Amino acid sequence: MTLQTTLRVSRFNPEEQRSYWQEYTLDVEPQYTVLDALIKIREYEDGSLGLRCSCRSSICGSCAIRINGHATLACKTKLRSLASGGRHVTVEPLGNLPIIKDLVVDMTSHWNKVMAVKPWLQPQGPEPEHEYIAPNETMLHLAGVMSCIMCGACVGDCTVLQVDPNFLGPAALAKAYRFVGDPRDAAGKERLKALNRYGGIWDCTRCYECVQACPKGVAPMERIMALRDKAIEVGFDNTYGARHTIAFGEILEHAGRLDELRLPIKTFGMFNFIQMLQLLPVGLRALMRGKMPPVFHKPIPKAENVRRIFKKMESKR
Amino acid sequence: MFDYDVLIIGAGLAGMRAALSAHQRGADVAVMSKVHPVRSHSNAAQGGVNAALTDRGDQWEEHAFDTVKGSDYLGDQDAIEVMCREAGQEIISLEHMGVIFNRDESGRLGTRAFGGQRQARTFFVADFTGQAMLHVLYEQIMKAGVHVYDEWFVTSLIIEDGECAGAVAMEIRSGKLHVIRAKAVIIAAGGLGRVYEPSTNALICTGDGISLAYRVGAPLMDMEMVQYHPTTLKGSGVLITEGARGEGAYLLNAKGERFMERYAPNMMELASRDVVSRSEQTELNEGRGIDGCVLLDCRHLGEKVIKERLLQIMEIAADFADIDIMKQPIPIRPGMHYQMGGIKTDVNGATPIPGLYAAGECACVSVHGGNRLGANSLLDTVIFGRRSGEAAAERAHQVSHRNVVDSYSLRDEETIKSLLSREGNGDSVAHIRLEMGKAMDQHLGVFRNSEGMETALNQIEQLKERYRKVPVQDKGKVFNTDLIFALELGFMLDCAEAIVVSALERKESRGAQSRLDYPKRDDANWLKHTLLTKTDGGHKIGYLPVVFTQWPPTERKY
Amino acid sequence: MKYAFFPGCVSRGGCPELYPAALEVSKRLGIELEEMVGASCTGAGVLQEKNQKLGDTLNARNFALAEKAGLPIMTICSTCQGVMSQAYKRLQDEGPAYLAEINSVLAEEGLEYKGTSEAKHLLWIIVEDVGIEKLRALVVRPLKGLKVAPFYGCYIVRPTKSLDFEEHPERQTSLETVIDALGAEVVDFPGKTRCCGFPILTINERNSVSMVANHTSDAKSLGADAMVTPCPLCHLNLDGYQPKASAMRHTKIDLPILHLPQLVGLAIGLDPKALGLSRHIIPTTRILSKIAVPA
Repeated sequence: MTLQTTLRVSRFNPEEQRSYWQEYTLDVEPQYTVLDALIKIREYEDGSLGLRCSCRSSICGSCAIRINGHATLACKTKLRSLASGGRHVTVEPLGNLPIIKDLVVDMTSHWNKVMAVKPWLQPQGPEPEHEYIAPNETMLHLAGVMSCIMCGACVGDCTVLQVDPNFLGPAALAKAYRFVGDPRDAAGKERLKALNRYGGIWDCTRCYECVQACPKGVAPMERIMALRDKAIEVGFDNTYGARHTIAFGEILEHAGRLDELRLPIKTFGMFNFIQMLQLLPVGLRALMRGKMPPVFHKPIPKAENVRRIFKKMESKR
Repeated sequence: MFDYDVLIIGAGLAGMRAALSAHQRGADVAVMSKVHPVRSHSNAAQGGVNAALTDRGDQWEEHAFDTVKGSDYLGDQDAIEVMCREAGQEIISLEHMGVIFNRDESGRLGTRAFGGQRQARTFFVADFTGQAMLHVLYEQIMKAGVHVYDEWFVTSLIIEDGECAGAVAMEIRSGKLHVIRAKAVIIAAGGLGRVYEPSTNALICTGDGISLAYRVGAPLMDMEMVQYHPTTLKGSGVLITEGARGEGAYLLNAKGERFMERYAPNMMELASRDVVSRSEQTELNEGRGIDGCVLLDCRHLGEKVIKERLLQIMEIAADFADIDIMKQPIPIRPGMHYQMGGIKTDVNGATPIPGLYAAGECACVSVHGGNRLGANSLLDTVIFGRRSGEAAAERAHQVSHRNVVDSYSLRDEETIKSLLSREGNGDSVAHIRLEMGKAMDQHLGVFRNSEGMETALNQIEQLKERYRKVPVQDKGKVFNTDLIFALELGFMLDCAEAIVVSALERKESRGAQSRLDYPKRDDANWLKHTLLTKTDGGHKIGYLPVVFTQWPPTERKY
Repeated sequence: MKYAFFPGCVSRGGCPELYPAALEVSKRLGIELEEMVGASCTGAGVLQEKNQKLGDTLNARNFALAEKAGLPIMTICSTCQGVMSQAYKRLQDEGPAYLAEINSVLAEEGLEYKGTSEAKHLLWIIVEDVGIEKLRALVVRPLKGLKVAPFYGCYIVRPTKSLDFEEHPERQTSLETVIDALGAEVVDFPGKTRCCGFPILTINERNSVSMVANHTSDAKSLGADAMVTPCPLCHLNLDGYQPKASAMRHTKIDLPILHLPQLVGLAIGLDPKALGLSRHIIPTTRILSKIAVPA
């Protein structure tokens, strides 16, 4: 049984520098993906529709676009699940990247950022005669990260890239993790040092957009969190980000809940007057509205239970 | 105009491996591909890569014999020896470069069983081995600083004084044509799956490289040998790895029988691909299929094996067929998968045209003969990719650039202009391709006969006629994929014709060619390669003897 | 309809005005609350960066406290909701050994999590349990003519697999449903499910404030009179840092940010002062006059 569906496609004609929406209504088979529909349009209706696609089985990473506002692979998205009740399906190019034509974006910045994390194995010492010996579990875990197909869906939906193109972004950082986590790689500390700068691991806002967008289950944000942990572990604990994480844990351990006065103080450092002064207007405005958190922060009742859990679970790591 | 020592067309495994070895030999290398390197179809190789490692108690001769037998004795044994002898070191090199292979309990590289082989010698990364290798090779060429021209479409090769001197290519983003001068050109542009409909191949597999070489006079060898993979998914035709059977999955017919018992009692589901596909097709033809499919049953493998080793398959079955492979068998059927034939080369990738090399699926060395073993294609790409890169770099050190000028692109510019100027006539590239694909699948599939193949040949001739007038809808310059498809269709029609002509020529059944009108293998007359060369008026067929070293032909049983 | 109330740190700290509003609105909606004593912070995803199992243990402890009282948990924070949902999923999916290990730690204070008690945001409770018809019936002061932009907060919309969206598709549009039921007009805008920037406020303030600027000015330019969020953290950032966002954009954005119970409270007739509307950084007076309520 075929069903009729309408795709609302965001178009951009580079020769005329013209953006517009175009609707295509077509009959599709029930198992059709958004890509099947786009190919059908391109082949039989409108040959000028620009999009990248190749494998049709979510391994080449060409067809990442925005469908109904969210980045995903067109070949992995069933039309049936979107077009129920005669709703239109909107199709747009990936966000955060310049558009070349219609659904085709310029991925140069994406590739450059991947390149920036020195994405190749850097072992130390002479190569062994045979393979490197490595635990299967570690390699299986890394394979899960390596299954990233560089489609850029995460980059397209990244909230930080929306406001700051300098951010390395989820794909490049997940790629970096793949080497930091590799027992064969000897450049871990150097890599973490580079990632510890502005634009690196601490600029992620933990919004889960990349986790949601990733069609391969790579969960880039979780890799970024693991990189943060490793960075602190090897001694890079003096960035605002690291101090924020450490302070958050300390406050929580002590009081069982957050203390919004002490968190920035601990993050910036008690004697970081410049940062403190910058907080002042915000604080004053809040104070005037009676919005300040209590100055004498009270721990939760029986906070010692929380402290005990901290002690126990931290020692297990 | 750009100048390079070595120009590589195609950035899949063969192309990037070639780039790396040519670079290591001191050549100035450029890789050019119509897609970004990590979008290449090598990605789709799921199951693994074969190698006999002596410290695992395996012998390369054993691997070579399995390959020879798999090829139905059409593979050149000197080439097969090279490939299998060098396989072990290549796997170790790949591991050192960073490929994350699955390990055994002791932390060493683990293996899985694959079809047509008596040893479990397939090294793998879950079920995305090709992708894992491809991305690592891309890492390596980034590290090496190889020039990558991604989304550049090669329109023709430049021949000067009978030698290959470069190529003409279009930058897809601007639509501009450029001349690239090179002392050696390696074609590593992959297969031609889109000549068939359906096919497991990506939309980019349009035989460009094969046709480019053929058009400048390089001979094509064994083009009739087209592999049908036994397990492609119902509906979409997406590939389901042989690794599933390697891990122990069963093939069942409508009656629930493991029908391979009747066709290959020893190797069962792990007989070589031509045998399994023929068996499935026989079951289907004799009415023991369900809705045009037989079943691949993974249910008994258990959650751990499936999640650790067949995760992608689980996702593919769920995404594309609504099947939960832990609970339901997967409906599958044989589907076009791989071209064993291709541009004739020696073991160093050299074609008979000086300066022109080929490696990977577009080449025919020949190591696969009439039927390729699963997990030998990845091996083929890296071994002969590396060797051709080395050979091309050697040549570049010895020769100087030919006299090539920018006006070499004019002819292709004219072709493109004429394509773009055509008015709509109701016909389209998509219609022509679909008709070609269906004809090829119907008449040059698992079983063939002369009547069907003659029909296909006629159809191809008519389609070529229509192609001469086919319009291109998009008249723009920037990222005009409509134009690219039209150019690709030209390449595909060349390939289709080469396949049909070669298949009609070989009057026997061997490997992937199974003719109902010549059902037996005929060693007396056909233990030889077919060789197709373009001539001014059309083409001519020739032959080459098969090279034997240590394995005389015997009856093939699994 | 009785819940163990988990107010979360911010409504007890940086935005204390949100707390009484939540209590009063819940009462009017017929939701009986018993405040959780001794419940800890969820870890907010920050703790989980370092030690996920520790985070899961703290959440299992909170769940066990509610379970002991025989109640499900109600939260008024998107972040708490998301972190608790993720912890809940992991405690279900990681296998019995994982839960047993965590329970062995909880046992020292006489607690055990059996896997029954789960957390639910007030927003979802309104849509799924109170029912939108009942809410409509309670509206005495329809927010007619008021244009309200929804702003969800990341953790209540992502990752969908831990939020049961398949079973509860209505959750994806719950905020719009509520705005509509209160008589206001929904202003749809692309930023509604994006990040407010709060988590990087102390790390990269410029980026954080840019996010505030984008969302508030986008909504404003589409005609919004106010923005409503079910997340106190989003509220804190979008309201508290809007002056900085305005300075960054050299324009006065001036978009009042309401926490969900405040908007509901207005429509069901509660006193704006009691709802804490006078304690916002961005004054709410203009929206009050628009619906003819004395500030």
